[in-house]
This record gives sequence, structure tokens and C-alpha cells, in this order.
Amino acid sequence: MYHSFGGLQAVDGCSFTISRGSLAAVIGPNGAGKSTMVNVVSGALARQRGRVRFDGSDISGWAPHQIALRGLIRTFQISREFGGMTVLENLLVTAPDQRGEQLWNALFRPGLGRRQDRELVSRALDVLDTFDLFALRNEYARTLSGGQKRLLELARAVMAEPKLLLLDEPMAGVNPALIDRLGRHIQRLNEQGITFVLIEHNLEVVERICDHVVVMAVGKTLATGRMAELRRNPEVVTAYLGGELLERATG
Amino acid sequence: MLLPPIIYEIATLAVFFCIYNVMTWGLNIQFGAVGILNFTYITFMAIGAYVAAVLSLPPQTPGTGVTYVLGLNWPFPLPMIMGGLAAGALGFVVGLVALKRLRSDYLAIVTLAVGSIIYTIVGNYTQLFSGWDGVVGVPEPINNWINLDLNTYEIFYVAVVLAVMLVAWFFTRRLFASPLGRTMRAVREDADVAEAFGKNTFRIRMLAMVLGCAYAGVAGALLVGYTGAFSPDGWTVGETFVIWAVLLVGGRGNIVGTMLGCFLIVVVFVEGTRFLPTGFLNPNLVATLRNMVIGGLLILTLRFRPEGILPERRRRYTEIRRASPTAVGAGAN
Amino acid sequence: MNLVPLSIGFGLVTASVLALASLGLTLQFGVTNYVNFAYGAFLTLGAYLVWQINSGWGVNFLVAALLAALCMGVFAVVAERVVMRPFTRRGSALFFLLIVTFGLSLVLDNLIQAIWGPEYQTFSLPSPGPLHLGPFLLTSYQLIVIGVAVAVMVAIHVLLTQTTVGKAMRAMSDDSVLASISGIDIERITMLTWFLSGFLAGIAGIALAVTTVSFVPAFGDGFLFIIFAAVILGGIGQPYGAMLGALVIGVATEVSAVVIPAQYKGVVAFAILVIVLLLRPQGLIATRGKA
Repeated sequence: MYHSFGGLQAVDGCSFTISRGSLAAVIGPNGAGKSTMVNVVSGALARQRGRVRFDGSDISGWAPHQIALRGLIRTFQISREFGGMTVLENLLVTAPDQRGEQLWNALFRPGLGRRQDRELVSRALDVLDTFDLFALRNEYARTLSGGQKRLLELARAVMAEPKLLLLDEPMAGVNPALIDRLGRHIQRLNEQGITFVLIEHNLEVVERICDHVVVMAVGKTLATGRMAELRRNPEVVTAYLGGELLERATG
Repeated sequence: MLLPPIIYEIATLAVFFCIYNVMTWGLNIQFGAVGILNFTYITFMAIGAYVAAVLSLPPQTPGTGVTYVLGLNWPFPLPMIMGGLAAGALGFVVGLVALKRLRSDYLAIVTLAVGSIIYTIVGNYTQLFSGWDGVVGVPEPINNWINLDLNTYEIFYVAVVLAVMLVAWFFTRRLFASPLGRTMRAVREDADVAEAFGKNTFRIRMLAMVLGCAYAGVAGALLVGYTGAFSPDGWTVGETFVIWAVLLVGGRGNIVGTMLGCFLIVVVFVEGTRFLPTGFLNPNLVATLRNMVIGGLLILTLRFRPEGILPERRRRYTEIRRASPTAVGAGAN
Repeated sequence: MNLVPLSIGFGLVTASVLALASLGLTLQFGVTNYVNFAYGAFLTLGAYLVWQINSGWGVNFLVAALLAALCMGVFAVVAERVVMRPFTRRGSALFFLLIVTFGLSLVLDNLIQAIWGPEYQTFSLPSPGPLHLGPFLLTSYQLIVIGVAVAVMVAIHVLLTQTTVGKAMRAMSDDSVLASISGIDIERITMLTWFLSGFLAGIAGIALAVTTVSFVPAFGDGFLFIIFAAVILGGIGQPYGAMLGALVIGVATEVSAVVIPAQYKGVVAFAILVIVLLLRPQGLIATRGKA
């Protein structure tokens, strides 16, 4: 059991569980509390009630960096690349357990950092390759196009060796061709063992790639299950108030 | 042996150049690498100067009739090291209070406040620091072993500060090139994201704060060893400014840029104008105008060339691909 | 005479000056979302302008004070337009603005010194007689300062609650994005806020100079961090918080002088600032997302 969740303020009585290895999504109309939930789970926001359990540990109240070190990595709604650093460096930074980050090593044993960097560079270049960003590796990240930045976000998250990737609206504002690519990357990474939880509005993608969906509305969990069943769930349909969900159900 | 006066002038400039370099590198670690706004950097230099002075003074300075509490008369480089440690320790304490908050303004405000407070305390607490008069008669480092006459000593001191500067350069370069330096820049770019990727941003900032302040302390110790005296007068907001100007004009995040900025602003501008004839302008006015020009230069630099003359270097890494099906070329860059 | 009530009296005077200054700073911060480090220099300039107009050109003191404050209001608007606007327009990172305002403070301080010299100045006002008011012993000038502060606080309250401008300022302070969509003229409100900030700084500077009797080019900057303490204690961007913070800091620093040497009053303000930052950094009246 991976990731379960309890209640808190703007999210009230929300509870769900994500199993290891699944490619899950959390959907719901605007204001359902999805972003708040992400912030609480990743430690950016303090929770008032309830627990967050991850990979056998209770991570409620942990600091964000501790949660990340445990293997739960989240991304942000808007692309937040390290603009003043190169694409390659963006990936190198996120790798965990870098000996060269200790002050003593940095000042007196630079060889340690350099040796580890060689490994990291090799791995990073491979990752960049799979995302087709290899050619941009020495460009400053702020010069990338919007779509490239999205890919960079994902590539960077992969370098962090996550057990679970919590993606906050990865497809928002992305053109359809890129949505396809991103979706396939996510599926590929999922097959390689990373658990995914996507916060998404794009229900078509969710239906295509996710095996488990949680619906949130007004801060609570409304229903869980596969997309197809959820479309037939009257509560869920009402929550979306005749939006996309209803169109699909009737048309 | 008396050399032509120009040699001594150059020696003075060289000494100030080296000292300011070390100081600005410290600020470069704080602001250039991590993005911390320390608006009272000069206070840490002052602490280093005071501690070094107090530790190196003998119980009774002949001719001045002044007695200091400690009178330890420690030899070089101990006072300098202690000065650096003291400044670093103060930086640690300030950091504990201010670095937990992620807003830059709060740290800036706290550093400004710390500066005011320490200035007040040191000025008023006469037992240890002899108040507003400051410390005088600080013995020259190393001179008790080799006993040079004062003129030769000036030249010798250039070698001393140059040596310290080179050591500082060596370690600063290592720091910037290391994974720690890289992570520091990530914290500067986006602390929240760095935190979300497992970096303890508080620890990173504290490291930069303490290290940077230690540099200031060492520089302060070197300065007091040269001038032999130090009082709160030499320690104004204007001085912090000069260091910021050197950093921003020269190029933040760039170690050589700092040297360039130092040369331009400190040597040419600040010290150079000291040697100008002040016949027609009263010296106070010259200093005032100089400060205004530095302030204006700073604002203009930020407006039109914010990265400085020498911008931060783009880092490239040796690319050796291990076995990979799509490996494209293996070779150093 | 019991020392504590006496010092509370003095505390009210300090609190009054602080309230005037803090309001200017916090209102401007609320609307623009960055700290103006040149604010101390604004105070100083206000005092020197009065000195010039009153002692230099012989204009009546109260008229001079009003003129000086109005000039400072205009000056603040111009400063923002010329120095800071290029950076806010570009969406530069916060630290640029902070360094720039810091640089501006250096330029202003030295400009003041260049024009008026580094010596101590005083206003040429007749010596006031002390008045006994219950347990307090204050001069008439100090009472006037308290009166002005109270009047200004009431005026600000009316401005914020009754006028369109005031409500717009509050809206911008709470949520600038929402404010801009709801049709508020951001430019105009920003300009008016800066005018108010400069005006209040001017009055505060004059009040400070009157109550400390003599002043020098750096005196505004020396006071600046105490203003910060009051603003942060009250909650940055919160005008009522600023008033509250000013009261607490003002009284606390004066009452502390009963037990510790007077030169260390600033240390008390600093200690309060540190405690606030450690325990409740958002201040007494918190704004979401600001601290």
C-alpha cells in the first residue's frame, strides 16, 4: 500500500489509497481541493487532521525535502525549471545522495564529487536522450519552449529516482501532440516501476492511461475506480455539472 | 631602505585589492551563489577586525598607555583565524533567526537591524572594545618574528594578503565547481523546487551565510593588521555598499568578475581618488560624492547589465556515455 | 515621581512617531509587495526640507511642515516612477528592487549630507514648557506629535473604510491579481499609495526630529529598523497591525529604559523583532501569502 490520506482544512474528509505500481489520477471540478491535497501530501502545507502514509512510513508533518528523499517527488502546476542553469544541470541537481554536496567533500575532497558527477552525467544524458532533449543539454533552461520545459520537468523528476511521482496538472496548457508524447513517457516510466499520481483536468488522457481514478469534490473523496465506471456514477456526473463527463456519457 | 613613494602607493592599493577580493568573494557565496541578501556585510568584517585586534594586542601597548582586557598577544595567523570564526559564528546566529523564512526582505531587514545593534553595542560597551574610539596600536602580524622596519613591512604585507587571497581563491573555485555549488545555485533559482527535490534549503543557506561571513571576518583581520587601528567610523553602510557594487558590477556568481569589479571600483575609484589632490574640494565632499556615484552606478548596473561585466560561467561537463543504445558521441566538451 | 508611568508617557510619544512612519511603510508594502529600504532616507529628507523652509527661508513652522510633507509625497511618487518602475515593469526578481532601494538610500543620504552638511541641526523653535498630565510629564510639542499621530490614524481608518481609493488599496493589498481583474486602476492607486507613503514619511521625519531635538543625515536610517520591527510585529502590509506594533514597540522601548541604559533602547526593539520572527513571523495580524 502506498499512499493514503486523511482529512484537513480546505480538503475535508478526503481519503484514498494508491497502490504501488499503479498509474492513478485524481480528478475533480475546480475548487475541489486537489492542489491543496498535493501541497499537504508533499509537505508544503501543514495538515490539521489525518495522516499521510507512504511506503510503510507515516510522513504526516514531515518537511518537504524529507518527503522527497523518501521517494515521493512532486512537480508544480506551472513549469518551474531552474532557469539560470543549463538543462543538463537541471537534471544533475535533482539526483539524490550526492557526496559532493557535503561541505567538507566539496572543499577538501573534490574528487568524490567529480567521480560521482561522471556517473550522474552519463545517466542524465541517457534520460535527456529518451526525452529528446539531448541537443539542448547545454542551453539555459529558461530559453526552452513551453513544451520543452514540460518535458524537462518530467526528465528532472525522473533523475530524482522517485518511487512515486505526484504530477500537478502535467498536461495543462500543452498542445495535443505533446500530450500524446508526455502520456507515453508516463506509461513507459510506469512500466519501469514508478508509481504515478496525476492531478488532471484532461479526462481523455486520464481515461487512456490511468488504471485507477479518484474523484474529489468540495474537498472530499467522492468515488474511486476506473474511468469507465465513474462516468456512469451519478454523483460524479453531477459534480461535474454537465461538463465533459456528461457529454461522453450521453454522446 | 626607502623606495620611491609610488611603490608604497601601489603596495597600499594591492593590499586593499586583495582584502576586498576576499570580502567580495564571501558576499558572492552568499548572494551570487545562494541568493541571500546581506545588507550588513560590513558588520561581519568589523567583528573579524575587532576579534583579531583584541587577540593580538599585548597587555600594555607602549606609548599609548592603554590597557586591554585580554592582552593575549597571539601571533599570526591565529587572530585572523579567530576573526573568521567569530564572524562565522555571528553569521550562524543571524542565519538561525532570518533564514527560515523564504522571503528575501526579511533577511535583508534582519541583517540591517543586526548591523545597527552591533554598532550600538560595540560603540557603547567600552570594557572590551574601547567604545567609539576604537582599537589602536594593533601590532603587525609576523613582525615580531622577523622585525622589519615599517617601510619594508608594507611591501611584505602585500605578500601576506596575497597568500591569503590565493588560498581563498583556490577554495572558492572548488566550492563553485562542486555539486554543492550547483545545489546552491538551484536554491537561488527556486528554493521551493529545490526543497521539493530533497534539498535541505535551510542547511544550504546557513552554509553560505556562515562561510561568507567567515570570509568577511578574515578580511577584517587582515585589514586591521595593516591599518593597526579600527574604530566604528570605518564601518558604515557606505562600506557595505562598496562591496555590493564590486560584486554586482564585476559579475555575480563569477569569481574572476569579482576581481575585475574590485579593481575597477576599489582600486580606481575608492582608493585612487584618495590620492587625488583635494585642494579645491573639501575631503568630506569628495567622499560624499563618491558614495553617490557608487550608489548610482549600482542602480544603473542593475538596470542595464544586471549580470555584471563578467556574467556567471555556463558550466559544461565532461560527457562520457556508458553503454547506451542511443549513445551519441563520447567526448569531452 | 514614579518612573514607569513617566516612561509610558514617553513611550506614547515614540509610539506616535513610529505609528506615522510604520503606516507609510506598511501601506506601501501592502500595495507594491516589496520593502522600500530608502524609507529611512525619506524621513531624513522630510526633516531637512522643513529645516530649509523654516530656518532657512523663514516660513512658519507648521506651514513648512505641511509643505515638506507634500514635497515628500511628490518625491516618493517620482522616485518610484524613475528608479523603481523600470524594475517592476520588467517583472524583475524581488532582490533587484531591494538592492535598488538600498542603493537609493545611499544616494539620498549622501545627497542630503552634500547639501546640508554632516553636522547636527535643530529646528529653531522656542523651548516648550513641560506639562503635567496625570502621571505623564510631556512637552507641548510631544503632545502635538501624539495628537497628529492620532488624527492621522483616524484619517487613515476613514480612508481605508469609507473611500473608494482606500478600498481599492485594501483590495490590491489582499489580492493584487483579483484587484486588477475587477477593474481597479492599478497605476493610479499605486501612485496615490506612494504619495501617501512619502507624505507620512515626511511627517514622521519631522516628528522624529522634533522629539529628538537634533538630527543628522543618518538619523532616519538609524530609526528604520525600529520601524521594521513595528511593521513586522503588526503584520507586514496591515495598517492596523502597524498601529498596534508601533504602540507595543514604542512603549516597550521607553519602559525598558527604566532598567537598562538608555543607549540600548534599540536593542529592545531588535529583541522584539527577533522574537516575532522566531515565534510568529506573520505578525499579530497576518496576511495570507505575504509572510
